[in-house]
Amino acid sequence: MSVSRISALGAIALSGALALSACASENNGGTPGAGSTAAGSTAAGDCFTGDLKAEGSSAQKNAIDEAISAYQEACSDANIDYQPTGSGAGIKQFIAKQVDFAGSDSALKTEPKDGRIEADDAKAACGSEAWNLPMVTGPIAIAYNVKGVDKLTLNAEVAAKIFDGKITAWNDPAIAALNSGVTLPSTPIKVYFRSDESGTTENFTKYLKGAAPDAWSYETGKKWTGKGEGKEKSAGVATATKGQDGGITYVELSYAQQNQLNTAAIDTGAGPVELTAESAGKTIATAKQTGTGNNLALKIDYATKEAGAYPIVLVTYEIVCSKYADAETGKKVKSFLKTFASDDVQKSLAEQGYAPLPAEVATKVKAAVDAIS
Amino acid sequence: MSIATDRRPDDAIVPDDAVTPPGGRPGRDALAEMRSPHRARAVKDVVARIVMWGAFALAMVPLVWILWTVIGKGAHMLTTATWWTGNQRNINSDDFGGGARHAIEGTLEMVGLTALIAVPIGILTAVYLVEYGRGRLAKAISFTVDILSGVPSIVAALFIYAVWVTTLGIGRSGFAASLALVLLMIPVVVRSTEEMLKLVPNELREASYALGVPKWVTVVKVVLRTAFSGIVTGVLLGIARVMGETAPLLILAPYTKNFQRDLFSGNFPTLPMMINQDRGDFALETAAERMWGAALTLIILVLLLNLIGRVIAHYGSVKK
Repeated sequence: MSVSRISALGAIALSGALALSACASENNGGTPGAGSTAAGSTAAGDCFTGDLKAEGSSAQKNAIDEAISAYQEACSDANIDYQPTGSGAGIKQFIAKQVDFAGSDSALKTEPKDGRIEADDAKAACGSEAWNLPMVTGPIAIAYNVKGVDKLTLNAEVAAKIFDGKITAWNDPAIAALNSGVTLPSTPIKVYFRSDESGTTENFTKYLKGAAPDAWSYETGKKWTGKGEGKEKSAGVATATKGQDGGITYVELSYAQQNQLNTAAIDTGAGPVELTAESAGKTIATAKQTGTGNNLALKIDYATKEAGAYPIVLVTYEIVCSKYADAETGKKVKSFLKTFASDDVQKSLAEQGYAPLPAEVATKVKAAVDAIS
Repeated sequence: MSIATDRRPDDAIVPDDAVTPPGGRPGRDALAEMRSPHRARAVKDVVARIVMWGAFALAMVPLVWILWTVIGKGAHMLTTATWWTGNQRNINSDDFGGGARHAIEGTLEMVGLTALIAVPIGILTAVYLVEYGRGRLAKAISFTVDILSGVPSIVAALFIYAVWVTTLGIGRSGFAASLALVLLMIPVVVRSTEEMLKLVPNELREASYALGVPKWVTVVKVVLRTAFSGIVTGVLLGIARVMGETAPLLILAPYTKNFQRDLFSGNFPTLPMMINQDRGDFALETAAERMWGAALTLIILVLLLNLIGRVIAHYGSVKK
């Protein structure tokens, strides 16, 4: 019985484990880490120090990542985290006071759902009115993958029928009628939808309902009610479509571009409109403000017939408290959103497949951000 | 326990020398009679061997496959220096590279704290159950540990969320996730320590008592010391078990791309969450390779702990 040898070995192992954890905790104090020590603050005293937490829509993830990088490059002591868990989750965490602001593809609901009113809950959580600030507009692309077809035009009614499973083959006469001169194969249509609760789904179904009420009989909402196969998150539907001949889905333009998917032009009655930042911006410009004052919730006219306006767009909001209980947090949110709304950042978003805010809306947003305290 | 009863019972019932005794020569009939069960045993032996090796090979398929895939897709990330020194700050999903140090440190720190809480509780519980516990209380504790070991990680996470966030109103943090991991780790530590303590021969305790040593000193100086290496092994396996848990992190510890060592406030970087974050953009090669890199890093950490555990078990097992 070699007790001493056994315990010696054990002691070595234990001290090893302790050394391991000591190693980890030794780095605990002081220095904020290599990544954040370089470069001074260039945003002239506007930088904050510390953490800012946000969560929500995955549709605006690529945009907010861009804005965060821009901010953090200028402000080396600021840490901003955005969790792309979905609009619904973001609003829930905001109401539960777990995040400083939420990203959402739809404004806070003002009418009751399941006995709760989002806007009131948010107001209670903030202790002040919660504002919806439109920050990015993301055109929703109808992205498809059909061999030999790189140009496709759809209209609301045909799109509704495709996503409802009523049109099942690519050479359906209804599609052919909109695409004279394009050879359509008889490949079956495979629809992919978002299986998670998504603001993209809500905006897309709002479009179908708004522009083709006869063909789309379902309710609008964050949960998909049409046909097809569910995939998780924007990346999921985009990847699935990319890997399936005959596949079609609705996804934010930025994801369609990342995955090199073809996007359909939409015929609103005034001829086919290609999806560009400009054509999407035209639709946003026609949107009406439904909130009051600095609460900038927008209502989009999906049935717009304006020439050159691409109608399937979503406006993604940052949901903030107008007056934060902790003034320090208020300053952080304000400072970051100022950068996000700035012309430089907004311009750079176009490369990511987002449409910048129309000038008129942008001015209002900037004024609202300034009013956050 | 299994060490003591390692010999197969068959050996004792039909010893080999019954077939060909060293001295005498048995009659033909007797020999045939003896041979046929021998042959049957040989056949059984071969069949059992094939089945066992087959099962082993089958079990190895997914393991080898996983390692092959993860190493093939993630190894090149680990060979860059920034992987071990940098973080993901300002690295968007379509940017290449970046480091995983923030997540490696975060994971080690989090499981370190988890072990710090869970190990004393687990070992003391096991000592109570083996050395002191009699009657209802011991049974109740044992039963509770059984239930606890069957609790899915998501339930543990939701429980902590309900207590920590919803009821107490404290924000999500690395520490909250640690608490959920504690719940998952305690039963592992209790059970493995219990087994080790039961392995300590009673004679040792009796010898100690005979010398007039009080019970608690016997437990500390004789029982725990004898079982020490086994306990350490169990603890390391327990740590390896919670290291890759993701559900508690998803619910309780939001990810951050920055260095963050404060477990008590704010978001916290961990390897499983880094994998999850990049999984969201797996269509992009840049994010996908980071995901595989983080997965490989996590596997290496867990394997290292397992290896240390095995080495201690090998060299430190109780010998007579």
